[in-house]
Amino acid sequence: MRRSPARLVIALSVAAALAVFVVYTAVAGAGTPQIQPSDLARHTDAVLLVGKVVSSSGDAHSTVGLRFVLRNVNGHPRARAHVLYHGTVPDLFGVSREVVVSGTLHNGVFVATDGSLSTKCPSKYTPAKKTT
Amino acid sequence: MTLALVLGAGLALAVVFFVARPFLREPAPTSDVLDEPSELERRRLELVEERDRALAALKELEFDHRTGKVTDDDYREQVGPLRRSAAAALRALELRAEATHERIPSGR
Amino acid sequence: MAALGRAALLLSFGLVVYALVGGSIAAAKRRRRLALSAQNALLASFATTLVAAGVLWAALARHDFSFVYVAEHTNIQLPLGYRLSAFWGGQEGSLLLWLLVLSGYSALAVWLNRRTRELMAWVVPVLAGVATFFAFMLCFVSSPFGTAPAPADGAGMVPSLQNPYMLAHPPLLYLGYVGLTIPFAFAMGALLSRRTDERWIVATRRWTLSAWMFLGVGQLIGAHWAYVEIGWGGYYAWDPVENAALMPWLAATAFLHSVMIQEKRGMLKVWNMVLVSLAFLLSIFGTFLTRSGVINSIHSFSQSPIGGWFLGFIIICTVFAVGLIYLRLPLLRARTKLESLVSREATFLYNNLLLVALCLTILWGVMYPLLSQAVRGETRSVSKPYYDFFLHTFGLPLLLLMGIGPLVAWRRASLRALGKTFLIPLAAAIVTGGVLIGLGFDSSWPGLLAYTFSAFVAASIVFEFVRGTRATGSLFRLIGKNRRRYGGYIVHAAILLLAIGIAGSSAYQTVRERGLHVGQSLELAGTTLTYEGLQTRQTANAVETRAVVKATRGNSTVATLHPGKNLYPVTPLGPQTSNEVSIYHDPRNLGDLFLIADQIDRNGTLYLKALVKPLVNLIWAAGFLFLFGSLVAMWPDAVEQRRLAERYAAAPA
Repeated sequence: MRRSPARLVIALSVAAALAVFVVYTAVAGAGTPQIQPSDLARHTDAVLLVGKVVSSSGDAHSTVGLRFVLRNVNGHPRARAHVLYHGTVPDLFGVSREVVVSGTLHNGVFVATDGSLSTKCPSKYTPAKKTT
Repeated sequence: MTLALVLGAGLALAVVFFVARPFLREPAPTSDVLDEPSELERRRLELVEERDRALAALKELEFDHRTGKVTDDDYREQVGPLRRSAAAALRALELRAEATHERIPSGR
Repeated sequence: MAALGRAALLLSFGLVVYALVGGSIAAAKRRRRLALSAQNALLASFATTLVAAGVLWAALARHDFSFVYVAEHTNIQLPLGYRLSAFWGGQEGSLLLWLLVLSGYSALAVWLNRRTRELMAWVVPVLAGVATFFAFMLCFVSSPFGTAPAPADGAGMVPSLQNPYMLAHPPLLYLGYVGLTIPFAFAMGALLSRRTDERWIVATRRWTLSAWMFLGVGQLIGAHWAYVEIGWGGYYAWDPVENAALMPWLAATAFLHSVMIQEKRGMLKVWNMVLVSLAFLLSIFGTFLTRSGVINSIHSFSQSPIGGWFLGFIIICTVFAVGLIYLRLPLLRARTKLESLVSREATFLYNNLLLVALCLTILWGVMYPLLSQAVRGETRSVSKPYYDFFLHTFGLPLLLLMGIGPLVAWRRASLRALGKTFLIPLAAAIVTGGVLIGLGFDSSWPGLLAYTFSAFVAASIVFEFVRGTRATGSLFRLIGKNRRRYGGYIVHAAILLLAIGIAGSSAYQTVRERGLHVGQSLELAGTTLTYEGLQTRQTANAVETRAVVKATRGNSTVATLHPGKNLYPVTPLGPQTSNEVSIYHDPRNLGDLFLIADQIDRNGTLYLKALVKPLVNLIWAAGFLFLFGSLVAMWPDAVEQRRLAERYAAAPA
């Protein structure tokens, strides 16, 4: 290898890394959509629902679960999403708190993935509290 | 409030004075030119770095040989060229130094 | 007094603008006195920024609620330590901290290098340019010195920020982030002054190393904080804010290695310019992510004006760096070529490629929501599976390389030599792998690979020290005479511990959750956890509820743990509950038994989540070793200093 093997190695490595990246994205899918209650009706696949808590009742650890209603963080003030959740509830969860929860829409109710609820901390300097 | 005013004014004055100092110390200097290394100096620096690199590489080769990371064969193979490049760098520096010595009495 | 603070910041702004403009003119037109004056301006900006910082600290200390910032972030009850740390608890104060560290570092760097006038002539305006942005923000966009009629009491500090971590984590991170500005400025200064020598690298080596060290330690402290305080059972959530610090650290790691190649072989000059710029740009990007809320929020810039300014600054800096590197490409020709793909240079190159690949995939993951919104009109995000995949794909080979690198000679390594040096580490790895598979560790292939590679790396590092000690006579002398190299090996050992700790506590952790009535128990990993009852305690500002859980193995009690919740009736956000986890450090597996009281019902039912995290304490131990190794690598060496001084002294006339 007389002509600078370095260039060849770099080119091959970059190509390899890109290939790995493309294959992964193709197989695993390109991320999960992050939507607000106003867009929920249009999605039947697994999504990340972001919204502000309007009301909640129930117990996330009971078999019946925690039921809460979310509204849009911005825009569409009338939009609502009804969520059914089981699992750990973050400390900051409460009315008017901004939350993120993953799950799928079933018959008008957003059935959440267990333990996927997290809240956004209002202060800029603490990351969102996670439960998983 | 007045304390703040006094401190602020004092700070401002001190700062302005400090920034203006080079001009106040030398209001009419013989030369205000910011020196930059001449072509000679740049070349010398390059040669010095090359010399240091070659010497460091030699030292590291010796150390790696002593600790057994480099076999005797590999050592024999590599030490020759390294010594030669170190010698070349040293020679080039000497030549450069001689040339500088010659040039300065006649060139200035 | 707020007026003094504002005035001091305005002075800082004026000084750095002068240093930028005057310094550039002085460097371009070669004016000595103006260059010195610009340098003085940069030095003075530290003094004025210090005064501004002092004003804010004094206001915080004496409860001056006429300062809006003090009223928003503290209250009368807040102890002094936390009042002082509230300095960086908010947007404006943290910007001031950044400027303080930047002006301090700049002053020190300029002072230490004042003899290299020609290089510093350009370094000063670059440093001043960065400072100008932050001073501008502090004076005109986001000032900490706003005043209002003083309320009777302040809003107070969120309870989760009232702990020692808040005292250490942000300042350490800033010492790291801001520290990356110095090598960047020297690199750009070298390009602007058309220098082709390595002076800028020599001058900034310790700066890069210390910034990298602070950033690493700061992140570990943050991880520990998340682990014990937020307490979800993990220490890293791939949150954009966490990634914001990881990315520049990875770029800086790559730079630390590739810069060694430039020093030894004169190669990779362009690459190093790109890397040092990348590290700097990522540090600014990192703080931009943390403050602007751009990624966490769904609809971005309209929410936070500060984001727009930062983005503009990042774009300007990127264009500047890329443009300058491009213009000076002819100067950056390599002196030598890579001789062999099997050489230490080559392993450094592979290490760089992997580090940058990991850094860029993380960057992609962080940016993805914004990019997908812009391109497809829909915000999509990636999460743990994405990051874990690339951490394994790029991180595991990196781990292996850490063991391979030291075994390979510079320039060219013959296969015979490799055979000799690789033999025992390879054997160690194979034996370890075999034993682990036999013990059932193949339940997680990334974990198995991590452990196997770690055995290889451990053997390789041990051999380095053993061989070296045999050659020099004593370990102390060995390290003393080769501080960079063996300090580096100590750091590698720390990273090794980190990798083992991460592998153990994630790949091989056990998690169980159950709802328990008093007297009931839950089993995991051979331990029985029995819920014995509840205890409640009233303190000055909280009601503390704790579940008493006894952990037993067989007939003996291993520990009694107390997971629970604290209720704070009065906080800036209204009544708050905080999760208080209970951790038992298990000497048997160097890990933790980690209990979370997920929920405590009124009737006394406890929803308990228990985790067994093997080897997790190696992560924190790694932090100390990392610190030690970095200090060894940084330690001044009299012989080397003399040689460098002689090299850069004026030519003999």
